[in-house]
Amino acid sequence: MNELLEVRDVVAGYGDGPAILNGASLKVQPGKVHCIIGPNGAGKSTLLKAICGMLKVRQGDVKLRGEDLKGLRPDQVLKKGICFVPQERALFPKMTVRENLRMGGFSLEDKSDLEERIDEIEERFPILKERRDQHAGTMSGGQQQTLSMARTMIIRPDIVMLDEPSLGLAPKIVQEVFDIMHVMAETGITVLIVEQNALMGLKNADWGVVLDLGRTLFEGPADEVLADPRIQELYLGGKKAA
Amino acid sequence: MAEIIQIVVLGLALGGVYALMGSGLSLVFGVMRIVNLAHPSLIMGGAYVAYWGFRLYGIDPLIMLPVAAVILAATGVILYKLFFEREARSAKYSEMTVLLTFAVAMILEGGLATAFTNTQRVTSPEYATDAFFIGSVFIPKGQLYAGIVSLVLIGGLALFLKFSRFGYAIRATTQNREAAELLGVNVNFVGLASFAIGVGLAGAAGTLVSFVFSFYPSKHWEWIAVLMSLVVLGGMGSILGTVVASFLLSVIAAFVGYYFGATWSTLTFYIALFVVLLVRPQGLFGEKPELA
Repeated sequence: MNELLEVRDVVAGYGDGPAILNGASLKVQPGKVHCIIGPNGAGKSTLLKAICGMLKVRQGDVKLRGEDLKGLRPDQVLKKGICFVPQERALFPKMTVRENLRMGGFSLEDKSDLEERIDEIEERFPILKERRDQHAGTMSGGQQQTLSMARTMIIRPDIVMLDEPSLGLAPKIVQEVFDIMHVMAETGITVLIVEQNALMGLKNADWGVVLDLGRTLFEGPADEVLADPRIQELYLGGKKAA
Repeated sequence: MAEIIQIVVLGLALGGVYALMGSGLSLVFGVMRIVNLAHPSLIMGGAYVAYWGFRLYGIDPLIMLPVAAVILAATGVILYKLFFEREARSAKYSEMTVLLTFAVAMILEGGLATAFTNTQRVTSPEYATDAFFIGSVFIPKGQLYAGIVSLVLIGGLALFLKFSRFGYAIRATTQNREAAELLGVNVNFVGLASFAIGVGLAGAAGTLVSFVFSFYPSKHWEWIAVLMSLVVLGGMGSILGTVVASFLLSVIAAFVGYYFGATWSTLTFYIALFVVLLVRPQGLFGEKPELA
């Protein structure tokens, strides 16, 4: 198989604290939507933070196209083509929508076409055009999430990692978030998403990865993972009655 | 009526210098969450650079301004590297910076007193004792020049923050450090550079202070409450707020000074500090404090 990103047996945690990840592995195929699921405390967010360089990888490997990412700072990982959208509050509330989009292109070496790239994003997401001079912090939760996801597309990254983008949003808005994710995938961006709502996440993904207690339990095509009895066990604390 | 206009003019003339003194403090707090109690003693440092140039070589304080700004900015880099960088990830960072900068203020005061003694100093370029007259209203030239230079510098800072690439990085880091880092901002460098800019502005302000007020090394204690009240009234970390607060309070202080005497005019700032903390702790342009 031809992996874009490979995570193997990663051990990581916060500061000098105990390891949260204890051998997490993951294979990311180009152009697909990957969903990481698992119960609370499984280490889903921690895994994304370890990949993007916010946390130190103590053991194991993180490789993008075979190139080691271990020990790089978040700004360096970004330059390699992986963009991470953290849980909630990923925006600059007192900057305008347009300024937030400009910050999305901060890491671009060549800024000559930055404004055109932003225009392109505004065409794709008209709400951002409508609100361009408004402070980001004054928009609704769904609009803010749209902005933080759309903003990643400015640099045309290889991989976008989303940490629970649906958190705290009204159910009606949640599908919009997944729609944006599909737009990303259509433009050729590989998506890696962490989702608390396993059913919703897997239904919107091509590939599922199940994490528990800091390790990868298993991974596979999303529909197979969804049908796997081990999911029932994990989420309902027992085998489904036959 | 002429009296009132005169008081307002005198208040406004000083407001600019206050604003420049406060904006460096506000910038450093906004980006780094450093409560820099040493800011006024660094301003004193700038004043002594001007004094040194004026007494020894007869150089105009306004010409010494960029020199003082650069010397103080370099001092800022050293201080940051020595004291603030290592602690940046600490959960108690802001609290620790209060103690650290308090110590820095003491050391600077001691150093300046050793070098220049505790005698009151002032630089006296010709314009410092001259004035313009419009009808019966007089505008002291020194204060007017200082005010104009301050506004030009603050305007420059505002344009820099609003439009330059590095200004975007500073604002982004102020508003959401983690998100800025994830978008490729080297937040450690932004911290260092903003601290240097903030301290450089203190140096620039010091050269203006040198001919607007008399100064001596331990005078910074008087300034700290004044500057804190400007930053708190403006809203912690908001430079625009600091500027508005500076003009507002210095005009009020001018009225208080005129009607109740100069001693009371300083009290304006202390009283404002208490009132703001009681009534509107987030200040004019600050965010509401989180209740967590």
